[in-house]
Amino acid sequence: MSVADFTGDARAFWAATRKEWRILRRYPGSFLSFIFWPIALPLAFVFQAQAFSGGRADTAAAFAARTGTNEVAGFLFVGWATYMWLSIILWGPGTSLRTEQIRGSLEAIFLTPASRLVVLIGPAVSQLVWAIWIFGIVGIAVWVGFGVSIGPLEAVRALAVIVVGVPALYAIGALFAAVVLRFGDASALVQAVRGVFTALCGMSFPIVVLPDWAQTVALTLPPTYLIADLRAVLLSGSELGRVIGDLGILAAMGAVLALLAIAAFRNTEQYARRGGRLAQY
Amino acid sequence: MSLAIEANGLTKDFEKGRRTIWQRLRREPDQRETFRAVDDIDLHVAEGEVFGLLGPNGAGKTTTMRMLATLLEPTSGSATVLGHDLVRGARDIRRRLGAVLAGERSLYWKLTARENLEYFAALYHVPRAQTAERINQLLEDVQLTDRADDYVEKFSTGMRQRLVLARALLPAPSLLLLDEPTVGLDPQAARDLRERVLQLRDEGRTVLLTTHYMEEADQLCDRIAIVDHGRIVALDTPDALKRGLHANEVVRLEVSAPEGSDPRLVERVATAGEVTQRDRVDGSLHLTVHCVSARDLVPLVIDAARSASGEVRNIQVLPVSLEDVFISLTGRALRE
Repeated sequence: MSVADFTGDARAFWAATRKEWRILRRYPGSFLSFIFWPIALPLAFVFQAQAFSGGRADTAAAFAARTGTNEVAGFLFVGWATYMWLSIILWGPGTSLRTEQIRGSLEAIFLTPASRLVVLIGPAVSQLVWAIWIFGIVGIAVWVGFGVSIGPLEAVRALAVIVVGVPALYAIGALFAAVVLRFGDASALVQAVRGVFTALCGMSFPIVVLPDWAQTVALTLPPTYLIADLRAVLLSGSELGRVIGDLGILAAMGAVLALLAIAAFRNTEQYARRGGRLAQY
Repeated sequence: MSLAIEANGLTKDFEKGRRTIWQRLRREPDQRETFRAVDDIDLHVAEGEVFGLLGPNGAGKTTTMRMLATLLEPTSGSATVLGHDLVRGARDIRRRLGAVLAGERSLYWKLTARENLEYFAALYHVPRAQTAERINQLLEDVQLTDRADDYVEKFSTGMRQRLVLARALLPAPSLLLLDEPTVGLDPQAARDLRERVLQLRDEGRTVLLTTHYMEEADQLCDRIAIVDHGRIVALDTPDALKRGLHANEVVRLEVSAPEGSDPRLVERVATAGEVTQRDRVDGSLHLTVHCVSARDLVPLVIDAARSASGEVRNIQVLPVSLEDVFISLTGRALRE
């Protein structure tokens, strides 16, 4: 690849990000819907936890021993906020590609000399907007509702964790995008994977309560590290140095998954180019 | 003569039906039928030429166009576009290629016209310093300057099609592919677009267009390939194609005569021209005849009708059109 191609693709990448962001902010209703759910969903689990624990000191202590924090509400809110953001990311690339396919713009993009990866990865950056929005809502909710204060330093650390986690999560989404281009739909697969993540990655519980085999599986899934590290920096005051090992694993997973996604996407593009599926809807 | 497009034996097969995941997992033999959309096409388009692919829907025009646009891989054959191999040099081709393929659907409706062009300018690697000026010029060329900052969702079909054309011109392409560019446009918008195509030719660009409007092909194209069932059945200038009919005029006749007299009547008419179509509608015999002179044909037809105890009810004399060429070559009308 020449220098001109590289700089051209870099510009195209930012243009794709900007385009996504422009479209996103022209649907303000979607932001409003993500005010309600990040509060309502974890709140139900907070009340459930209160009912199960009976407000006793020994159950609270047991919770703190297993999770490293005594902030039950914060624990649940961070878990479910991650889940919601994860859902957006998992659906994002596939939905975006399918929308481009239906709109006919996928062919228009593929007619340009820009790298195919631009269209696949470019919108990823706009997913950070959702992360900031959802975690911002959650931060305000736990502060106002439960007195859990998250300072700017913790917020910056959380953002760093999110940035490290984006490649892995987005690569999983990109794998679904390849499935969409191949089969036209990936809903069933996305639902199944989302279910596995919910059951194993500790959205609403610490993974130590899982059976040993399930914990082993959980440790192979990127969201497990993401959720644990977000809780550590937001609720337990951990510095990034204390979670650096996890972040390294997360980054490595991201690199492997990204390579897989790129290979899958290239392979599927070839298939679409042979069968004329780029414009099928 | 430099060639913008040189295709040899270009062929594209599609599989009909589907093969289920279960069949794939069980490694069952692929029993799908193959449909040949483009069949062994040779195409040589000179630089600066407006070249038309004329044919009915499903003839293989769009598939040919998509292959040349690098969106579809040929099943066999080879092609060089703008000096680059269609498969190995796809990215190099796309740098200098503009295309209007999918029409108005392929825009972002929640972006303005300018924002759409800004995005695609980046994808086309238009240098940053030239982007704003080029976009302004293109918006002016397609008469959208006053609507540049409106969302595309508020545009009419014609405006969207003009914007798609502006997008195709963003890379200042040497070759422009236009797939049915005037379909769905009102007459004025279609006329504007045709004028724009002629301007592009004057600017020295090569244009390959598909259409099933014969007047459009006749007006715009330096040369035309008539495509049917995936094959090129004739290729020449519009005038040469028409001359190839060996007729100067087309006469459409409506003759009221008993049905049993048809063979004899047609036989007599055929002595003065080529009968290319023959139908019976509402008790009348309708004939299309290609002839050298209608003056010689018409008295003969009137006499033949009288002999068959009938009469000539309607006569239309028309100059030879590409539609007639198509009928003569394929035995059916372009829009059938």
